[in-house]
Amino acid sequence: MIAYIVRRLLLLIPMAIGMVVVTFGLLLLIPGDPAAVLLGQDATPEAILNLRNALGLNDPWYVRLWDYFAALLRGDMGTSIFQNQPVAEIIAGRLGATIELAVVSLLLATLIGLTLGVLAAIRQGSFIDTATMLFAQLGVSMPVYWLGLLLMLLFAVQLGWLPAIGRGVPLHEALFAALTGRPQVLWDSVSHIALPALALAANSAAIISRLVRASMLEVLREDFVRTAYAKGLRKGRVVVRHALRNALLPVLSVIGLRFGALLGGAVLTESIFAWPGLGQLTIAAISQRDLPLIQGIVLTFAIVFALVNLVVDLLYAAVDPRIRLG
Amino acid sequence: MKSFLLTTSAIVALSFMPAQIAMAQDAQTVVVGTDVDAGTLDPRLTRDTTASRTADLIYAGLVHITPTLEPVPDLAESWENPDPQTFIFKLRPDLKFSDGSPLTADDVVFTYTSLIDPDFNAPARALYTPISAVEAVDPQTVKFTLSAPYAPLLSYMDVGIVPKALVEGGADLALNPVGAGPMKLVSWNRGSEIALEANANYWRGAPEIENVTIKIIGDNSARAQAFEAGDLDVIQSPLSPQDIERLKADDRFGNVITAGLGVNYLNFNTKDPLLSDPKMRQAFAMLVDQDTIVNDIYQGVDQVAHSIILPSSWAYSDTIAQPTFNIEGAVALFNELGWTDSNGDGVLDKDGADLAVTLATHSEDPNRVQTVEYMQAIFESAGVKATAQISDWPSFSTNYVQKSMHQIALLGWLNIVDPDRLMFAQLTTGGSTNWGGYSNPEVDALLQDGRSTLDQAERATDYQAAATILAQDLPYYIVSAQGYQMFYSKDIPVSVQATPRGNLRGLIGFTD
Repeated sequence: MIAYIVRRLLLLIPMAIGMVVVTFGLLLLIPGDPAAVLLGQDATPEAILNLRNALGLNDPWYVRLWDYFAALLRGDMGTSIFQNQPVAEIIAGRLGATIELAVVSLLLATLIGLTLGVLAAIRQGSFIDTATMLFAQLGVSMPVYWLGLLLMLLFAVQLGWLPAIGRGVPLHEALFAALTGRPQVLWDSVSHIALPALALAANSAAIISRLVRASMLEVLREDFVRTAYAKGLRKGRVVVRHALRNALLPVLSVIGLRFGALLGGAVLTESIFAWPGLGQLTIAAISQRDLPLIQGIVLTFAIVFALVNLVVDLLYAAVDPRIRLG
Repeated sequence: MKSFLLTTSAIVALSFMPAQIAMAQDAQTVVVGTDVDAGTLDPRLTRDTTASRTADLIYAGLVHITPTLEPVPDLAESWENPDPQTFIFKLRPDLKFSDGSPLTADDVVFTYTSLIDPDFNAPARALYTPISAVEAVDPQTVKFTLSAPYAPLLSYMDVGIVPKALVEGGADLALNPVGAGPMKLVSWNRGSEIALEANANYWRGAPEIENVTIKIIGDNSARAQAFEAGDLDVIQSPLSPQDIERLKADDRFGNVITAGLGVNYLNFNTKDPLLSDPKMRQAFAMLVDQDTIVNDIYQGVDQVAHSIILPSSWAYSDTIAQPTFNIEGAVALFNELGWTDSNGDGVLDKDGADLAVTLATHSEDPNRVQTVEYMQAIFESAGVKATAQISDWPSFSTNYVQKSMHQIALLGWLNIVDPDRLMFAQLTTGGSTNWGGYSNPEVDALLQDGRSTLDQAERATDYQAAATILAQDLPYYIVSAQGYQMFYSKDIPVSVQATPRGNLRGLIGFTD
């Protein structure tokens, strides 16, 4: 098991190198000069050239790529051209918010998806089934951007229940505050994350619910389920302990993959709800051609995604005793 | 699994509980929504609107530019011009930065010396290059010597003065700004919000409003909704047309539209064989339906432009007129120049070649994209094959227009506090931003004279004469003068004054 984890972690290295090279190549191909964007409308050509030299943008590409790797080995992700701060520092300051949003969304999506999927499967053909599948259809087809605005319109503008924008204190700190007698801090954080998390979760919840339903329907027809009923077990126990556990396997791998989609969706959600994560930063970095920052963000997303999928693979083994990692 | 389910259901249940949300209108706090985060809070390096608006609150310059674009004394008490190439500024006594340290002539000299240093890479450096020397005569007097007379300079002297001692001591003003303006920085959560509080050390005393928070929300509609929900007290351009109508109808909000300091214009590449004849440019200009563009695409916030001089400028004259929308006239002019539909396919042609032109703009501004698409349709109806080329700003600007690879490009200029700002670098022969390659010795002489004399009446005459020629020559066709719009909550406890640049001092009690 440990050997397996170590091997998977070592595989991150070639993956990271590949990511850096591919991103670097793409950034070479897309036109646009950060120096010109930085200097704005009044810049003279000499000023742009001067700044390009200062930023090292006039060096040949292999020198720049080599320098980047050399710096990366020292743990230095470079300096943002526009914010003039170390990239690692900028990302570290905002990664937490994005991960928090993605994790809460994933939990929400899983919870909604599992509940609806199981209900739809055990009541196949009923009203619940139809309603669930309708929700799934809507959830899959509604863009997160639009849903976000609708949720904001309803809960913040019309009802005034939840704040439209911003973030409270980080959830783990808020939980601690609540445990030490300040529940309003937790409420503040939860009320801020509710709308963006819900908007972001809808799509994944829909996909998961469809998958759970299909997977459950298949498992519920298996012999061992009939055996379980024959043993006289209660329905709830059969569904949860026997059927769901077996139906969960394909769902689990999808949940892992959804995390990547959530990180991507967070980019849009964050800019609507002014959530101070990596999403807004990514949009700005790309539109300004802030090359070191784009590199750093892509690398960070890739590593986070790879780690999440490692965790999912470990969960696989936990859910299915037939799978042995090693 | 069970406890996980319990926790998550608790979170979900909680999130649907109604609750009282604190409104933004905490008595002495103004919360302003904006579209981008500030890139830096060093006033010498600002390049986005949020940075310059925030810097205008944190710092003070030698002069302050009023809502009517007049330079009035700020840190400087007075100034004089013993000759056209010398400015002598007298500072107010006992000026202090927000940290309590004194502000003297040395700080002014330091600020301007770094601005004109090529290695400092200040984005606005080109505006200050006529300054050849800046020196402290005594702790309260600064003398600027210019290499040539340069009238617009005073309009640019609102740049914030930075504390020399702090910067030389290694402080990074970009992140930890210290200025002598009406507010000071409390905290800056990058990408999220900038919190400011009143600065009691400002020479006019602390402003009435104690706190200003600037919240960054990238999406225009989301920002408008957050404003309606009460999370924001003020929002301003850019706004989406569909939100503007709704907000106008809401009597909780005040609404101001003022002329901005920008233009949208067509940049004709005068070096392009098709466009080198001014008559061709005139014919194309007659295909621009300014009224529809301004009223339907820009929802009446912008104004139809008639010349290169902004209507809000002291140099404006309503007797100058560019060609106006006239499809028949344009076709007649094309015919006169030899472009006729000889083969009856609906497209004008000459010597066997169709009349084809590329209209370009950048994708970030949906209004400009729509304008180009609309123009494309009109061009087609007049028998011109028009191709629309739309790419994002970095590639559009640096790899296309700035390399003079365009034919007709829809672009904008901002911050035109002085006519010189829209003409000198852009339209003099070999000017640093003359991407269309325009050259006319007569215009060169007028623009040079316009910046060299300090007499405003004479300057106005120069710019009007230049604008008259430009309205015929058309290296630029000015489509519209940008408007600037602000909505504010009527609960703000001070009287609100909008400024053409969207600066915020008018929200904290300083309305001049």
